[in-house]
Amino acid sequence: MRVNFVLSEVATGLRRNLTMTVAMILTTAISLGLMGTGLLIAGMISDMKEIYYDKVQVSIFLADDVTDEQRSAIEAQLSDSPEVAAYIYESKEEAYERFRQQFSQQPELVENTPPDALPESFRVELVNPERYPVVAEQFPNGQNGVDQVRDEGDFLDRLFSLLNGARNATIAVAVVQALAALLLISNTIQLAAFNRRNETNIMRLVGASRWYTQLPFILEAALAGLIGALLAVGGLVLTKVLFVDKTLAGPIKAGIIPPVDWGAIATIAPVIAAAGVGLAAVAAYVTLRLYVRL
Amino acid sequence: MRPVANGSSRASGEVPWRLVIELQHVTKLYPASGRPALDDVSTEIDKGEFVFLIGSSGSGKSTFLRLLLKEDDPTRGTVVVNGKTLNTMSKWQVPKLRRTMGCVFQDFRLLRNRTVAENVAFALEVINKPHRTIKRVVPEVLEMVGLEGKAARLPHELSGGEQQRVAIARAFVNRPLVLLADEPTGNLDPETSEGIMLLLERINRTGTTVIMATHDYHIVDSMRRRVIELNGGQITRDQTRGVYGVGR
Repeated sequence: MRVNFVLSEVATGLRRNLTMTVAMILTTAISLGLMGTGLLIAGMISDMKEIYYDKVQVSIFLADDVTDEQRSAIEAQLSDSPEVAAYIYESKEEAYERFRQQFSQQPELVENTPPDALPESFRVELVNPERYPVVAEQFPNGQNGVDQVRDEGDFLDRLFSLLNGARNATIAVAVVQALAALLLISNTIQLAAFNRRNETNIMRLVGASRWYTQLPFILEAALAGLIGALLAVGGLVLTKVLFVDKTLAGPIKAGIIPPVDWGAIATIAPVIAAAGVGLAAVAAYVTLRLYVRL
Repeated sequence: MRPVANGSSRASGEVPWRLVIELQHVTKLYPASGRPALDDVSTEIDKGEFVFLIGSSGSGKSTFLRLLLKEDDPTRGTVVVNGKTLNTMSKWQVPKLRRTMGCVFQDFRLLRNRTVAENVAFALEVINKPHRTIKRVVPEVLEMVGLEGKAARLPHELSGGEQQRVAIARAFVNRPLVLLADEPTGNLDPETSEGIMLLLERINRTGTTVIMATHDYHIVDSMRRRVIELNGGQITRDQTRGVYGVGR
């Protein structure tokens, strides 16, 4: 195969339909960018699950008037229980410190909260998080210095269903955009084939192989897909630098939200590129088979 | 066998390998039309023959040529080109078939943004001929068609006759077994047409079979070659040394 010939055909094709090519690249870029965002959110969710679910499953908040005996009794009960994998004690001061970090973006909230407003607690990790009711039964609310037992997993489930929803919505928009991108690619290829019908007709008549005739069009689409993917990765990098690293700096530092690290983007970039190139090439090939006589 | 009209009869019992084209009871129906474009057509064309395909518009000439190129498949019957049955040929083999056929059209079909030499070279480039070969054979064929010294011109800088010579050079440069010409003189004045016919005759003398669809009775009458006349999709005449119209 004559590489120069094919490449010059590709270049000519892209230049001739510049507006369509730009539209094709931009839609592809948006679609792939959203897909990448979806994948990053998915990665973040699993990181967060690790952070949260592993640390805390049950919180036992102690009453304000808890006595030292009651406190040690609870601790003894925890350390003896076969259901408990691990536990930590958090004093009022520690609770306040954590609260200040978590809400560092809302100083007025921190200022209006007296340091002793937050209860001391035991943070308990269960061997099996689903056995929560059994554990809760052992520490009835309002007795023996226990104010309240709370299943943090319940709260986390709601948080994660929210995050999952955000991820799904992003991916859904990415899919719709991908559909638009595929139709645009198909349209552009049909236009390109029409523009070059003299060349392709002659190629057909002199016995050029199907691949020889079709390859320039497929490469054209694949190249547009690749450029779209590069733009998408660029978009993700900009989002990280300008939005995630700046606006979300506080919660990330506090360990509430895991950071989006370069490794995650580096892992996703080849996936996006492969998806862009692959989908565009397949769309072009199918278009040529269905709509264009080559 | 072949119907014989008021010309000399053709020798029967040809050796099969001499046949380059064979149509057996070929019928072609197009979905949009009730009348067949070709209706039970059978004929044979030998290697090295020069055949005129005549008949009014819509008589089936173009369909005849399209079937030989496997641009279309017959509805019924068998088309054999150079020993290969086109009906059963797979799509992937079609390019190989077409490399053995050259095509020339009324409207030349040159690439407007390529020079004469590039137009001819294009036909070789896209079938992966080596650069060395292309560099050697393109000037040769341009000289043969009488365009030496015009290799760097663009098509619009040439006369109609010269453009058709470029098209013929492109069709012939790969030394096809068969040259199909669909009204090659349709856009040319009689004098220019004569030059084109001399060129086609010269190509025929190299052993290439030439099949030419035409309306130009001057040419048919003066050449005295085999004439196949189609009428309503049927062969109504097949003469070895024919003229355009009976009794003209």
